[in-house]
Amino acid sequence: MYETLGYEERGDIAFVTIKRTRINVRQIRELERVCDHLDDVSQAKVVVFRGHSEGIDFLDFDPKEAMDIHGFNKWEKLVNRIETLEKVTVALVDGPSVGGGFQILLACDQRICVPGATFQLPEVRQGFLPGMACYRLAKYVGLGHAKRIVMTGATIGADEALRLGLVDAVTPDLDAALKKTIDCFGPMHTVAFTLARRLLNESFSTGFEDGIGNFLAAQHRAISQTAFLDTLRAEHKKK
Amino acid sequence: MLDLRPRMLSIGTANPPDRWSQADLLNRFQVSDPKIVSLFSSSHILSRHLYLPPGKHDGGPEEETQGDLLRKHRRGTIEVAPQAIDRCLAPMGLAVRDIDYLCCITSTGWLTPGVTAILMKHMGFREDCSRVDIVGMGCNAGLNGLNPVASWAMANPGKNALMVCNEICSAAYVFDGSMRTAIVNSLFGDGVAALLVRADERDERSFAPKILGFDSHIITPAIDAMRFDWDEEQGKYSFFLDRDIPYVVGANAEKPVNRLLNRHGLKRRHIGHWIVHSGGKKVVDAIKYNIGLTDHAVRHTHSVLRDFGNLSSGSFLFSFKRLLEEGKVRRGDYGVLMTMGPGSTIETALIRW
Repeated sequence: MYETLGYEERGDIAFVTIKRTRINVRQIRELERVCDHLDDVSQAKVVVFRGHSEGIDFLDFDPKEAMDIHGFNKWEKLVNRIETLEKVTVALVDGPSVGGGFQILLACDQRICVPGATFQLPEVRQGFLPGMACYRLAKYVGLGHAKRIVMTGATIGADEALRLGLVDAVTPDLDAALKKTIDCFGPMHTVAFTLARRLLNESFSTGFEDGIGNFLAAQHRAISQTAFLDTLRAEHKKK
Repeated sequence: MLDLRPRMLSIGTANPPDRWSQADLLNRFQVSDPKIVSLFSSSHILSRHLYLPPGKHDGGPEEETQGDLLRKHRRGTIEVAPQAIDRCLAPMGLAVRDIDYLCCITSTGWLTPGVTAILMKHMGFREDCSRVDIVGMGCNAGLNGLNPVASWAMANPGKNALMVCNEICSAAYVFDGSMRTAIVNSLFGDGVAALLVRADERDERSFAPKILGFDSHIITPAIDAMRFDWDEEQGKYSFFLDRDIPYVVGANAEKPVNRLLNRHGLKRRHIGHWIVHSGGKKVVDAIKYNIGLTDHAVRHTHSVLRDFGNLSSGSFLFSFKRLLEEGKVRRGDYGVLMTMGPGSTIETALIRW
């Protein structure tokens, strides 16, 4: 099975527990395998990423070797896969979220943390870049806060994270908060859900003219699905 | 056993010499109708190569009869197709005399003898070269042609098959001031793409992709959505594009893609390269959201549309060429080719480098 992760399904929910708190090549491969399983096999409607992460494991890099970019590309592909899973994705954070751990949070649909959780992107201080967090973070918190977080490597506490919109809830009882969150999502219409998420993710970088073309294409796909027809039928029945 | 599947070995493209911006065209045809001006002004097409009729004294273009248009198609074929063919064959050290099978595709003019015969006469193909003309199938026809070309190549190992998508769209233009013709006139451009296909053990170490399979889809309820029919008043053939095409195509796009990939045990995430016909902005958007492609995945589809307009059957080969020129493809990568057109039709093919 997995060495760096725990994986189990309970009813409609798949739990991915981060066991290794430093991201290494093995963990990236295992997360890819989890995504394969979620895409190809699992019937789960919700995926929960649970735990905490101290970021990249520098022991994977050999300072005597020439550096190459391909591992970073692999990582970004993984984060994008998590971001586009056809499931509701929720991050439950019970400790520090540093570097890559922080990046995975940004790819999830909802983020919930305990009061003691912290968030940090120390990469720039370490002489490299926090991946596509540079792209995603500003959409959540605005450019000003993003600049501070990325460029100074500041550690953000749970309350500030909540204020910034980086997390959706702070609570000592993650399980209760998870249940509440899942209930909020209501019936899961996968197509409408993933299309809405895609349009939102694209919203900051698409001009209005392209945006409306994208919306019409997406809306046509949505209204051609049975979920929308079911809604229509139910509404007609009421009358 | 040797794997003797046909490969897409070389590609050449060519366009007529005159390149027009959308604004040039509005001036040239003295268009002032704000609806048509706005149609031409949307930014997804910047320029197209076209054969335009010579100007009259008052500055407007001369009226072209159906006969003029047919002659234009023939002239364009003779001027442009040989350049595309030479550009396809020269890098392989081949000449037209080395071609054993010639497939020409066109939907923009009627010729008997067909385009294959005309090119054989003008370019000096061997007299025993086998040939086939695919006429009138529209923008999807490049893959309708590639399917038999690939089969022929597989049945005749070591022999050279050449496919030529020859579209002089300016020979199918009608200018009557209506929105119907304005939509067509704002979209299509002239261009020819030639592709060499061969199944040969000598190519075993070639980087060129192998053609693994095809899947077709026709949406017969939408048979009238795209059509080239006779306009009695104008005395010309006139192309018609229904406004619902993007949605009809989008709603069905998953079907052939899923069948094609399932048959080969693949998922969409395994496909590294999508080569989608540059049908128009809306139809590409529909494909994007219905099969989950990013803007990056259709970057060449967009850039070919921007620089050339819709080149009908050859569009996907122009995108394919840009993909190769980019130099990012790696051995082992899978690609899906996808074309859409009248029928309504969606054609797909799976290739692997």
